[in-house]
This record gives sequence, C-alpha cells and structure tokens, in this order.
Amino acid sequence: MIPVELVDYPKPWLLFQATACLSLGYMAFAFLRKWYGWARGMREPTAAPGDHRRPLMIWLAEVLFQRQLLTLSFSRWCIHLMIFYGFIGLALLPAAFFILKTAGYFALSSTFPRFSLHPEGYFIFKLWGDSFGLLLLLGLIMAGIRRLTLRTVRETSNQGDVILLGLLLSVTLSGFVLEGLRLSPMPAEIAHYSYVGRFFSPPGTYTLEQLRPWLTACWTLHALLVFILFAYLPHSKLLHSLLAPFIIGMNAAGEHTREDIYWPEMKKYRATRSRQG
Amino acid sequence: MARDEKIQGNKVAAGLTRRQLIELNACTRCGECREWCPVFAQDQREELTARAKLGALSSFVDGTLSEPERQKLIDALYECSACGQCHVVCPVRINTHELWEQARLSLVNAGIPQPAGQIKQLAAIKEFNNPFGKSRNERATWAEAAWKAGLLKAPLNFWKEQPSPIIYFAGCMASYDPELQPVAVQSARLLQEAGVDFAILGEDEPCCVSKLRRMGDSAFPGEARKRVDQFTGMGIDTIIVSCAGCYKGLHSDYARLWPGAPKILHLSQYLDLLLTQGRLSLKLKIPLLTTYHDPCHLGRHNQVYDQPRRVLRSIPGVELVEMPRHGAFSSCCGMGGGLKAANPEIQHKMAAARVREAEATGADAIVTPCQTCYLGLLNGVKEAGSGVKIFHLNELLVRSICPEVTHESVKIALAGITA
Repeated sequence: MIPVELVDYPKPWLLFQATACLSLGYMAFAFLRKWYGWARGMREPTAAPGDHRRPLMIWLAEVLFQRQLLTLSFSRWCIHLMIFYGFIGLALLPAAFFILKTAGYFALSSTFPRFSLHPEGYFIFKLWGDSFGLLLLLGLIMAGIRRLTLRTVRETSNQGDVILLGLLLSVTLSGFVLEGLRLSPMPAEIAHYSYVGRFFSPPGTYTLEQLRPWLTACWTLHALLVFILFAYLPHSKLLHSLLAPFIIGMNAAGEHTREDIYWPEMKKYRATRSRQG
Repeated sequence: MARDEKIQGNKVAAGLTRRQLIELNACTRCGECREWCPVFAQDQREELTARAKLGALSSFVDGTLSEPERQKLIDALYECSACGQCHVVCPVRINTHELWEQARLSLVNAGIPQPAGQIKQLAAIKEFNNPFGKSRNERATWAEAAWKAGLLKAPLNFWKEQPSPIIYFAGCMASYDPELQPVAVQSARLLQEAGVDFAILGEDEPCCVSKLRRMGDSAFPGEARKRVDQFTGMGIDTIIVSCAGCYKGLHSDYARLWPGAPKILHLSQYLDLLLTQGRLSLKLKIPLLTTYHDPCHLGRHNQVYDQPRRVLRSIPGVELVEMPRHGAFSSCCGMGGGLKAANPEIQHKMAAARVREAEATGADAIVTPCQTCYLGLLNGVKEAGSGVKIFHLNELLVRSICPEVTHESVKIALAGITA
C-alpha cells in the first residue's frame, strides 16, 4: 500500500475555539431556557411498571426504522432515512476518533487505534465519511427537490424550513469541497477511497503550497457553518431530531397495546389515505 | 414581549403537562396532520391544522404570539372535533386530542373562555345534569312510555327499587332527544330479548359530564368524582352504555378517578357478547348493503373496531362494505369535541363529506353504533342532499329480532304517549 501523507495546513484554532465556545454556549443557554419553559408544566403520574419489551420494540421501529414514515410515503421515508443515518454516521466519525485516541492514549489494545489513526487505516475513515456524507447530501438534495416540486409541500414550507435546508446543504457541501481540496495533491490510489470527495477536487494540478490558503478558508467556513447549525438547532425544526425520539418513547410506554396505530396493516393503511373534498 | 402576554403564557403552560409542552416543540411540521384532518378538508385554513396549532401554542406559552395570531389559535382550538386522527398519523405520535382538551382547559383557567355555544351547553350540564336544560324528572319518561306503548317485553327495573349488578346507562341524548329516544328503547328491548337481568337508573342516572372534559371545563374532575362516588357501593358489576361519548367518559375519562371500576361496555360490545353466547336470535333477513361509520370515541379513542362490525355482519342479509377511511383512519362526522356546539356549519360539512364517501362505496345505508354520530350523519345527509339512509346499529338488529320496535314506530308511539 502506498504510504499516506496527511495533508497539513494552518487552522485558525483560536477562532475555532472562540466560535465553538460561543455556539455551544448559546446552544446550552437556549436549551436551558427551553428546559425551564417545559418545567413550567405539570408532572404526570409515573406509569406503572410493566412490560418494557413492547415499548422498546415500538421505539426501535419508530425511531431507528421510522416505520410510520414508511407507511405514509416511501419516498419521504427514503429521504428521511438518508438524512437521519447520514447525520448519525457523520456524527459518529469524530466520536470514533475520540474513542480511538483515548484508547490509544491508555494503550488499550493499541493495535487497532494505531492502525486507524495512522495512515494505514486512512481508508476506513475516508470510506465511512464519504458514504455517510453522500447519504446526507443525496437526502438533502432530494428533500430540496421535493420541497420545490410538490405543491402541497411547497405551499406549506416556511422561511425556517428553507434556512435549515440551506444551512444543512451548505455544511455538507463545504465538507465535501474541503475533502476535495485535501485530496487534490494526493495520488489517485489514495484519493479513490474518498470516492465522493474526489469529485469535488478542483480541476488542474496544484501544489500543497498553492492550496493551503484555500484549505484554511474552506476548513474555517465549514467549521463556522457547523457552529451556526449548533446555535440554530434549538430554534429550528431540527430540534425534533432530539425531541421526537423522546416523545415517541414516552407515548409508546403508555400506548404500546394499541395495535391500530403501532401495528397497522401497512397495505390497508396506505389504501385509506385519501383526502376528503 | 408584553408582560401580560408572558404572564398569560405562563398560566397556560402551567395547565399543560411537561410532556405536552415538549410535544409543542417536537412537531416536525411535516404536514401529515393536514392531509388527514377532516376539519381542514372542509375549511382549508392552515391555522386549523395540528401543526399550526402546536406552533402557535408553543409561541403562546412563550408569550411571543401576536394578538391576531392568538385569536386565530383560540378559534382553531375550538374548530376541532378532537377526533384524534392527527395523533394516529403523526410520525412523532404527538398525543394531539389529549393536548387539545388540556389546552382548552388551560386557556379557560387563564381567563380565556370557550365559545358562547359551548358555554351555554356546559352551564346546562352543570345546572340540570343534562345538556338540554331539561328536568331530571323527564329522564326516564322514555322507559315508562315505551312500556305503555307495548314496545318492551316487561317494564324496566329501576335500580333503586330493584337493584341489579347490570346497569343500562342510556345517556342524556337517548334519554331526552325524541330523535334518539328510540335508541334507548331498542337497547332495553334487545337486552330483554337476550334475557339480560338489568336495571336502569331512571331519574338517578347522572350525566356522564364527559362534555365538560371535551370542552375544557375545570369542573370536570369534581363532577366526575361525584359520579364515581354515586356508583361506588352500588354493587354494580357491568355498566352497558349506548352512547359512545358516555362510553369514553365512563371508561376512559374516569379511569384515574375510579380504581376498581366495574366493567364498562359499549352496547355494541355487549351485543357482540350476547350473539357469541347465542342469547340473541336473529330471525328476519334484512337485505341491505351497508357501510360502517366508526365513532371516534369508540374507535380511535378506545379501539373498539371489530365488535360492532361483527354484530352488523351477523344480521342475516346485511352486507358490509368498508369506506376508504375506516378503522383508525375513519373520518370524523364532526359531532365530537364540542365542535357542533361551537361551529355547526363545519359539522354539517364534515358529515356531508362522510356521507359522500359512503355513497361512493355503493352502500344503501351508513350504520353507526353511536347515537351522536347518528344525529351528525343525518345532518350530513341533508347537507349533501343524499339518498343514503342512516341507521343506528340497534335499528338493524331490531328489524331482524323484534320489528315492532323500529325507529319510526318507537318515535310515533312515544310522541303519542308523551303528548
């Protein structure tokens, strides 16, 4: 295997840390305000302990498989799953780095952390990142097309929906552009692991020196967009990504015996979908 | 943010549960509720949809909703039959109809009253123990008149004179409304035909007060407690209820207040049981192509879907064809949640849409086991100018078992006697 030299370029860490503190601090503050808002409500009596298996099954089906969406619309289900798993996959990437680094730091089974974090294991992260990034990108593009082409969806879109979609798309695209710039000076044998990112490489041949300012600018833009997304999360409909699994779980605990809504016959369900005039 | 708005927002928030407040923020605005909402289908204003109400209510409790938007939200909360369709289709499973009822109550507690039509009905329930404002003495006249007219096999037992572990609970609608009194008479007669030893409460039958809960009246828990106390210690084993609204009240709304409650069954469930036991013999053939309308309070709210259908299918000659929207997806006729009292025009349109849906199946008649839906669908037939017949489930049963107690014959007989 060709040895991989990781592309190095200057990163404005001070700006990064300051923005991270601001963005995450604001997000925490906004969530705290939300929490106080929710805490104004009445406490509900806790449900009697019962069978947890069925509510858990419902939760898994409704959250991880998103069965309800599948029964409503196959295309919506595909789009939502792409965005959902794209996000989860990309979020796991830094988490995996962190875990492996920590494991390596403590010399816990250091073979795999070493392999993964050094050039030998480069392809694992590249394949992972590009695959989930592609899922997210396709999902967002399809969501955008759906929003533009379907009259009922278009009519009911609001400014917040457009801002969120635009922001998510910008984050994803800037990530791929950054990846394309990083791949530009790399040999093709290495670059092909980033099977999506390579298409974002600028045309022509450039030295690392020529690319460095662009890499720095793109990295900064990508990081800033991510932090804007974090700050916007508590005010956007993306909040449902955190609250919906909670609500689904809470309601499944109380209603898990309802076969009519949790275990409907899928074909019959679809057939009944008709608007009344 | 105006201070008053914030204070009122806090008051409304304090009347909702924490889960409900989180639900306000959990909505994805996907719009599935809009696709299915029977009210929106008739009056296509975005503010009527569940997602719009959730968003507006969220701003309301945060104190950031403008005055015009606030009024829109209040109107929209009452232009809703709380049918629960949005709960069934919501990908986040937000328990919407519970939320609407709780929000109404919370608004009232924050000083925002119900629409005038509902206030009038609520006042009547609290003062007269029925929504018609009629005297308690008239509550059981149907039973006495039916016996005099020869519509019953035997005079009905009044519980206070002859206690029985099985109670037939007719409800206010069938007790007082001349159009619905045949339902009470037919129910009693069918129970007699099956040899059921039961009693009625007569003048002592209370209003179930579930309408108080539906319309957000804060007197509900206290009034319901009084009913529970009345029933407790009577040695009742089973309460048979012929009204879907009362069934929801006694079976579901009282649940937390009534540990160790007796069996509460809707009449259609009990008839299904009697048919299974072979205690009712269906004699005459009724050649009729029917479609079945699921009452929201029975179906979506209590998951009683199959028993009434089994009863209907058991009648010789009766064929059942389903409407496109049935079961958990059955379209509401608009009679629930106080919508009829607040906005009768919408109810008529919703019922007309349901009637047209039934017509499209080719059925000759719509059958429902709910006396309130029966009335609502009659409005729909008028509104749609349809020739489809509306039958209460009892009607087809008595035509097969005891044809002398058909709806028309009971109405005529009772009118003659009470006049």
